[in-house]
Amino acid sequence: MRKMLFAGAALACLTGPAAAQLDPAKPDDALKMNTKVICSIKAGEHNVWYWEGTVYSRIRGEKDRHLFDVAAMSVRQCQPFNDPIRGFGTRSVNREIMLYLDPKTKQVLRSWKNPWSGEKVEVMHVHNDPVNSREPTFARDAEGKPTAKFSHVTKDGYVYQGGGAALLFYDNPLAGEYQDYVGNKYQASEFLTATVPLEELTDPKSSRSKNTVISWGRISRWMPWMKMGARDGLLVHYTGGTRLNSFEDLPAWMKKEIRANYPTYVAPPPANDKRPNETSWTVFKRKVDEQRAKDGKK
Amino acid sequence: MSIKPWRLAAAALLVPTVSAAATLDPKKPEDALKIMQKSICSLNEGEQVIYWWKGAMFSRVEGEKDRELFKLQGMNIRQCKNLKDPKRGPGFRSVSREIMLHLDPTTEQVVDTWKNPWTDEQLEVFHVANDPVNMRNPMHAYSSDGKPIEADFTVINGRAFKGGNAPLFYKNPLQGEYQDWVGGTYHAMEMGNDFFYADDLFDGSDPSVDHHSISWSRISGWLPWMKMGDRNGVIYTATVGGRVKSIDDLPEPLRSTLRQRYPHYAAPPPLTDQRPNETSWEVFKKRMEARAKEGAK
Repeated sequence: MRKMLFAGAALACLTGPAAAQLDPAKPDDALKMNTKVICSIKAGEHNVWYWEGTVYSRIRGEKDRHLFDVAAMSVRQCQPFNDPIRGFGTRSVNREIMLYLDPKTKQVLRSWKNPWSGEKVEVMHVHNDPVNSREPTFARDAEGKPTAKFSHVTKDGYVYQGGGAALLFYDNPLAGEYQDYVGNKYQASEFLTATVPLEELTDPKSSRSKNTVISWGRISRWMPWMKMGARDGLLVHYTGGTRLNSFEDLPAWMKKEIRANYPTYVAPPPANDKRPNETSWTVFKRKVDEQRAKDGKK
Repeated sequence: MSIKPWRLAAAALLVPTVSAAATLDPKKPEDALKIMQKSICSLNEGEQVIYWWKGAMFSRVEGEKDRELFKLQGMNIRQCKNLKDPKRGPGFRSVSREIMLHLDPTTEQVVDTWKNPWTDEQLEVFHVANDPVNMRNPMHAYSSDGKPIEADFTVINGRAFKGGNAPLFYKNPLQGEYQDWVGGTYHAMEMGNDFFYADDLFDGSDPSVDHHSISWSRISGWLPWMKMGDRNGVIYTATVGGRVKSIDDLPEPLRSTLRQRYPHYAAPPPLTDQRPNETSWEVFKKRMEARAKEGAK
């Protein structure tokens, strides 16, 4: 079969178009190729992702516990720009959902009995709207010096991106004004990988990749809704997933859940969205604050 | 031009020789076994399969921003023996060797000494070189209690993928005899994903897959050679990789280092290898014991 694949490629060369392939050494092309991995270089195109995996606790001295399965989706669009000095530019706007599932029944959890406190708590699924890039990224800086680079580890025609992590350590929106002194910072690490056929990125006729697969992991403190307070321990998310052609490709049960409870998540935010980003911590804070205002207490 | 249209074109050319029955059905135990074997190695007994991965290792200490300690490059070389059991049906067992090198996060060169940033002590780096890393028990179409095997891949949009977690919590070979009382248990979790094209993985006429990419992470206590003692904190890795066709396709500096320092890792262990598996903790212990003996002479 592999021999036949090469035969197919040879035929493609004979009949292929004359249009130039994107060149990762050129800054504009490098940024376009990076954009095609996760998003699109064509305005208005919806980029839908699905991923799934597990959530474990890690507490010193006990075996890690399988707390949840997760199933997630995001829908994104990228506005292309063309600046006379900075060249090609792109800005992504995005919404994201991650549902916590019972690890045995695989049903969406509405409440959860915390095995350490014994308390039954309401599950707050991740629904972050928006998760945008603040400013557009351009191929060159304000002086016209190239800044865009294409991470170029390629094996057998596939590009492998990732193997690093975003190390997050900033003021916790749910904690007080003296975190540098008494602790309780938001401390987490997120790691994303992507694997994609190189040809899909260099192809001048396509606006985005078709076959990108991703993995995403996060090591963080407890989710606020778990009501773990200052208890020792970590939460470990680990997931894998793939790009889809459209919202319709999502599993049927997930489409139903989103349409019923998160109807705006069938499409990305507007391309010019200027709202500040949401995280599970800011969403949870708003929820608690609203409840407290309703109850008339602080 | 993506891989998939060409695969379809090739399949069309092959139609006269390939029947519909050649598509493996994950619900049939014999087929599920073949799917699992293709996802781990190859249906061809003795065919060498090589994996590589790259990434980094980080520290997590409560109250300080996580640190990138090392870049990583790893490889695993394996082969599978095909088995047949009167009760459990067809089966296979993989045998492998594995290397993971610690690289300087900036220069990406192999580092053999490391200054521990918490203790300031200069230490020797123990790269991972585990031989063997074998399947303890073979995998068969049916388990010993007659339960059929499952190949529970998520199939969506032409892709087939599968995640897995191995939470490990067992007696630490470097700790004492009273771990249930005073702690020190080996505590880690490994996490991974395997990504395929559904038509490639479920193709019963092709003994091996054309494409397989992976991601792998691990969270554990400090590595023994980091000499962190009882200090609070964990380390974790984040990596991405896939299969390559030969040792020559491995990235540098992994390729040259394998040739120079670990030449027998250019081939998997023999199919019948029955040696116990090695872990980094056991390798460390063995090496420290050997050195103590040298010193005593």
